[in-house]
Amino acid sequence: MPAAESILRGVPAFDEALGKLAERIGRVTVHVRNGRRSAGAGVVWLRSGVIVTNAHVAAGSRTEVVLPDGRALTARVTARDPRRDLAVLSIGGGELDAALRADARGLRAGELVVAVGHPLGVSYAASLGVVHRVPGAAHGPAGWLHADIRLAPGNSGGPLADSSGRVVGINAMIVGGLGIAVPTHVVERFVHEVEREAGGAGDVRAA
Amino acid sequence: MPASSTDGLLAAVSNDLAAAVDTVGRAVVAIHARRRIPASGVLWQPGVVVAAHHTIQRDDDITVTLHDGTTVSATLAGRDPSTDLAVLRLAAGAAGSEAVAPASEAPRVGQLVLALGRPGASVTASLGIVSAVGGEWRTWQGGTIDRFVRLDLAVYDGFSGGALVDTAGKVLGINTSGLARATAMTVPSSTVSRVVGQLLARGHVARGWLGIATQPVRLPPALRQSLGTKAEVGLMVVNVEPDSPAERGGVLIGDILLTLDDRPVSDPGDVLAALGGERIGQTIAVGVARGGRPETLTVTVGERPRPERSRSERPRARR
Repeated sequence: MPAAESILRGVPAFDEALGKLAERIGRVTVHVRNGRRSAGAGVVWLRSGVIVTNAHVAAGSRTEVVLPDGRALTARVTARDPRRDLAVLSIGGGELDAALRADARGLRAGELVVAVGHPLGVSYAASLGVVHRVPGAAHGPAGWLHADIRLAPGNSGGPLADSSGRVVGINAMIVGGLGIAVPTHVVERFVHEVEREAGGAGDVRAA
Repeated sequence: MPASSTDGLLAAVSNDLAAAVDTVGRAVVAIHARRRIPASGVLWQPGVVVAAHHTIQRDDDITVTLHDGTTVSATLAGRDPSTDLAVLRLAAGAAGSEAVAPASEAPRVGQLVLALGRPGASVTASLGIVSAVGGEWRTWQGGTIDRFVRLDLAVYDGFSGGALVDTAGKVLGINTSGLARATAMTVPSSTVSRVVGQLLARGHVARGWLGIATQPVRLPPALRQSLGTKAEVGLMVVNVEPDSPAERGGVLIGDILLTLDDRPVSDPGDVLAALGGERIGQTIAVGVARGGRPETLTVTVGERPRPERSRSERPRARR
């Protein structure tokens, strides 16, 4: 019988790479909570403490954000847009690890994607899938990124990233079993609008 | 965030998957032959599209959108409900020369596969594995499928009629949710090619026909003894179609069918299995019990009449 390592060949390396990838995505993923209840996830968008999540996750004017290192901070809900299902939170003053981003319109169907979030209350759970359909030119959900990936409540507001760990979308809903994410370019535009209105530093650029 | 050294592996796998989708996706088309969303189809030969029969809800006024966005008209060459396949011919001079490369090897259990579809302008992909592979099987409508291929994979709009692709971009078959309830299955490429050939040549898949309806009945021990059979179940003939091969061969209502060509039959499916298209015109030895005594009748197999498009043949709402 051949040795175990020769049977598995590339699989252990794949597992290890996937684990590291999920860990790296987790470093820019936060918990968003309303009171004691976990509402969803969020992504650190700017080093200065700007966090992006879904509008349906950030309900009030203030919410609690738990960083990957465990620090719980009160965040101000700077802006909400239910139509794009996006919200911008500000925790101010931080020197945080911000997410690397890639334009979802450059993806191809079949590419690997990884989601990190807190599905059904399980913290920093990762799921693996593929791009089902790249976002089209349409506005609204028809123009969003569709992924063949298993998501659950608690993934909302969290990152969907490519095989290099670059965030390509914000997970927003599950339709017919498909994960639907707001593509990065829509998020960039929203954050840019919010930052400009606030007269803040123009640190809004696609990575 | 520094990139780790194992990044390259994931990116390479991701690229391979996307490349397989890209290569085969050029041959995956959208078919406009039903309300709501378009169905998927695959260019099996230049100008010839294979689809899932149950997604083609009309016979005329069919158009096909190719990968480059051009829409061309198509005609229905034929359908085979028994394997849930239909074949369309693209209008002459239309593009659509990017036919697929069918795999010659059989799928393996555990193999990574992609299901491609095009329920609209852009190609869609789902990742999964082959969950079961078996030998030749017969669908409930009597079609013969070379291999049983069951998938562990999410089924979305556009699944049926789409292509099952391996990581090297070879097409393992045509996907359908129309052959087994709530199960993602694939009609293997060898079966697709055979059915496509028959549909292009004749417009339908010919099947043998006797013209009887049967129902399984338990044979009491005394009858089994007098017949000299070990079979516990026979098939009671409950209907004989007028002017059918069975009527001409002398089969009567009330006969208990025991064997066809000396092979025992205990299920109506066994009868279908003995009546492949190749048997048309040949004789078959029909062993029955009549009045408690065995008898052998010789019947010349006919061709199953092609039903008018009936409601039962109409596709149910499936993806």
